[in-house]
Amino acid sequence: MKGENNFFSFRGQLIYGCAAILTVLVAFPFLWMIATSFKPLNEIFVFPPRLLPQDFTLANFERLFDQTRFLTYFKNSLFVSFATVVLTILIGSAGAYSLTRFKFYGREKIASLILFTYMFAPIMIIIPFYVLIKKMGLANTHLALIMAYTAFCLPFSLWLLRAFFQSIPLTLEKAALIDGAGRIQAVIYVILPLALPGIIATSIFTFILAWNDYIFVRVLITSDELKTLSVGIADLYNATVIDWGMIMSGGMLITVPVLIFFIFVQRYLIAGWGAGGMKG
Amino acid sequence: MKLSPPQTGILLIAPSILLIGALLVYPVFYGVWLSFFKKHSFFAEQQFVGLANYVYLLQNPEFWMSVWYGTVYSVSTIVLQIVIGVIAALIVNESFQGRNLVRGVILFPYVIPTVVAIILWKWLLNNQFGLVNYLLRAVGVIEDPVSWMGKDHIMTSLIMISVWEFFPFVVLSVLARMQTIPPTLYKAAQVDGAGPIRRFIHVTLPQLRNVLFVVILLRSIWMFTKFDTVWLLTQGGGAEKYIRTLPVYAYMRTFMYYQAGLGSTLAVIMFVILLVTTSIYFKMFRREEEI
Repeated sequence: MKGENNFFSFRGQLIYGCAAILTVLVAFPFLWMIATSFKPLNEIFVFPPRLLPQDFTLANFERLFDQTRFLTYFKNSLFVSFATVVLTILIGSAGAYSLTRFKFYGREKIASLILFTYMFAPIMIIIPFYVLIKKMGLANTHLALIMAYTAFCLPFSLWLLRAFFQSIPLTLEKAALIDGAGRIQAVIYVILPLALPGIIATSIFTFILAWNDYIFVRVLITSDELKTLSVGIADLYNATVIDWGMIMSGGMLITVPVLIFFIFVQRYLIAGWGAGGMKG
Repeated sequence: MKLSPPQTGILLIAPSILLIGALLVYPVFYGVWLSFFKKHSFFAEQQFVGLANYVYLLQNPEFWMSVWYGTVYSVSTIVLQIVIGVIAALIVNESFQGRNLVRGVILFPYVIPTVVAIILWKWLLNNQFGLVNYLLRAVGVIEDPVSWMGKDHIMTSLIMISVWEFFPFVVLSVLARMQTIPPTLYKAAQVDGAGPIRRFIHVTLPQLRNVLFVVILLRSIWMFTKFDTVWLLTQGGGAEKYIRTLPVYAYMRTFMYYQAGLGSTLAVIMFVILLVTTSIYFKMFRREEEI
């Protein structure tokens, strides 16, 4: 399309300047968090503040592991998020396949109802949801969380996967069927490989939603050993004396691995974005 | 037994329908039902009270304050997100060194857990040791440290943090559409003598109309119902009252005063406000070809 902007033109300088300001506004808070997490207490509160720690320390992380159940929260978050991804992808792929490959009465109505539920926000249903979960005897279980996240992720997952399945030509499948493959074989060998980018994108969005959620854990989980990271970290802040070094080290540990992961999967993320993958 | 194609189709979509129906749609109706009861959040007994919850709320100044705070919060964050998001999309749509890196980094605030965004900003905005107060004083904008979490500034802080957290959604959605605008349109406008601003107004904006319609719709719904960002910011500040939006108020009623009936009533009211405003929005701006 256009050539690269020349750094020495006015227009070029304006663009580089704006891009730099934008990057600093977005990224600097993270750098500050990472820097704080490696500073000893006296440097955290030093005046004037310095960006880089003079006396690099891991003491904040040691306190995080010794004094809190950070590792338990981390394990819980991983388990709940992965379980949600697996369940959502299984149910969602079957549903999206049905919506794109079979004709049946009410199919389009179902698709638009699903789009409507995509707009739901947790606060709109959390109260009745909580009452129902209690009635079912599932309060304070990870299963309740997984059910809630799966239900919340299904609308956009179906929508996304449907868009990806639609882009796979029917003729490919027909050819496989004529060549003597059964429908299940056709799905495994023809459809799945082609739909893989869509499945990856959907998995990422589902994972983010489950990993980041706060309200469902806050409401549905009461035992400390079942909490996930969001609530675990939030509760560190509610302690009487705020240990900024420890909180920042916790924040860093739950953010940086995810951000590094994103840099690798960025292209899938952006591919899914156009089809409406994110919510919240 | 062999299933016919329509039967197989229904069988495959059934789990999705069941889950969405039981866990998303049914709770909405159950919430409407609960809003007619006086119900404790923990205990099973409930007492039918008709419209008493609605009457109580509509006469309660606390409720109207939360409607007001919720409106201030959602309108200002939506406007700022859209403006900043479109400007940022225009910037990263240009070609320059390191463009992909900037595009990736812009996503960060949106994909991190809200709790991290909040602790980050609480630390940056800390009135004694926060970097923001230090920088503002060093530059000479302010003389005394600003109490960002105090009652006078907490709404401003909340709006700034929320815009920071959610504008990336606008950038990515708008950018995806910008990349599909045919360059010939710009060439033609340039030949006609249109400068950059007129090219933006007459070429870019009309092309973005549909995507902006959807983005504004989604952002409005999600900002109006935003709970965690607002709630987490109120923790440990003492100025909680001054950003008590409708979602926070509904949560408090249910899980701090244990009034599940009243909480459900608030959720129903939010739902109704959203239905009314979105249908007006659709009537005003929707064109046939959209969605």
